[in-house]
Amino acid sequence: MLVDVAPSRPRRLRPRAGYVTIRVTGVMLAVLALGHFATTHVVNDVADTGSSFIAQRWATGLWVTWDAMMLATALLHGAAGLSVLIRDYRSSRRSQGRWIAGVAGGSFVLFLIGAATLMYSALGGR
Amino acid sequence: MTAAQWLFLAGFTLVNVAVAATVVAVVASARQLDGGARVTRSFLSRLGRLPTERSEANRWAFYAHRVSGVGIFAFLALHILDVSLYAVSPTRFDEVHELYSTPLMRLFECLLLLALLYHALNGLRVVAIDLFDMGPRSAGRLLNGVVVVTVLATAVGSAVILTPVFNGGV
Repeated sequence: MLVDVAPSRPRRLRPRAGYVTIRVTGVMLAVLALGHFATTHVVNDVADTGSSFIAQRWATGLWVTWDAMMLATALLHGAAGLSVLIRDYRSSRRSQGRWIAGVAGGSFVLFLIGAATLMYSALGGR
Repeated sequence: MTAAQWLFLAGFTLVNVAVAATVVAVVASARQLDGGARVTRSFLSRLGRLPTERSEANRWAFYAHRVSGVGIFAFLALHILDVSLYAVSPTRFDEVHELYSTPLMRLFECLLLLALLYHALNGLRVVAIDLFDMGPRSAGRLLNGVVVVTVLATAVGSAVILTPVFNGGV
C-alpha cells in the first residue's frame, strides 16, 4: 500500500507571529494590567473609583496613554492566546478558522468600543 | 436592581460560563492525552496526581495558565463594556460600578487578583525559560517562586480589598 508521506505545505507564518505577539504583549501587560489593578483595587478602594475617579484620571495624558496601550495589548494578547487554545481543542481546520475569526472579530469590536469610549471621554465629550 | 445592573450580572454569569467551559476543554484534552475514552476512576486518579514531581507541577502550571487566561479575557470583555457606559452616561456607569463594591464582587476581585498574578508571573517564567534556555530543574525552581509570590501577594491584596467588608463599610 502506498502511503503519502510528502511533507505538508510549508508552515504558515501566523503561528510564529502569534507566539511573538503573546510574549511581547504579555511582558507589557505584566506592568500595565497589574498596575491598573493595583491603582483601582489596592491603592484606591474600588468603591471610590466611580465616574468622578475616571473623569479625574482621563484628564491626565499619562492615564489616557496607559489605558489606550492596555486596551490594545490586552485584546491582542487575549485574542492570540485564545487562538492557541482553539488550535489545540478544535480538531478540524474549518472549525478552527471559524472560532478564530469569531474571536478576532469580537476582539476588534471590543477594541472599537474601548477606543471610542476613551477618545470621546478624553477629548472632553464627558 | 436596575436594568443595567441586571445586564452586568448576566455578563458576569457568561464570564463564569467561559471559565467552566475552559475547565471542561482542558480536562477533555487531558483525557485524550493521558487517559482512555471515558472518565474512569483510574483516569481521575491520574488527573489528580499531586504536583510533587516536577513534570507534574509543570502540567498543573500549564492547566492553570489556560484557565486563568480565559477567565481574565472574559472579564476584560465585560469590563470594557461596563466602562463604555461611562461615555453613554456617568450616572448609568455608577449604577453598575456600585456592584463592584458589594461583598460578593470583592470576593471575585480577590480571585481575579489571584488569576492576574499567577498568569503574569507564570507567563514571565515561560518567557524566561525560552529566552535563557532554562532546563527543567531551574524551571521547576522558578515555578516554586511563582507560586510563593502569587500566594503572598494575593493574600496581602485580598486583605486590602476585603477590609471594608469586615469593617462593616459595605
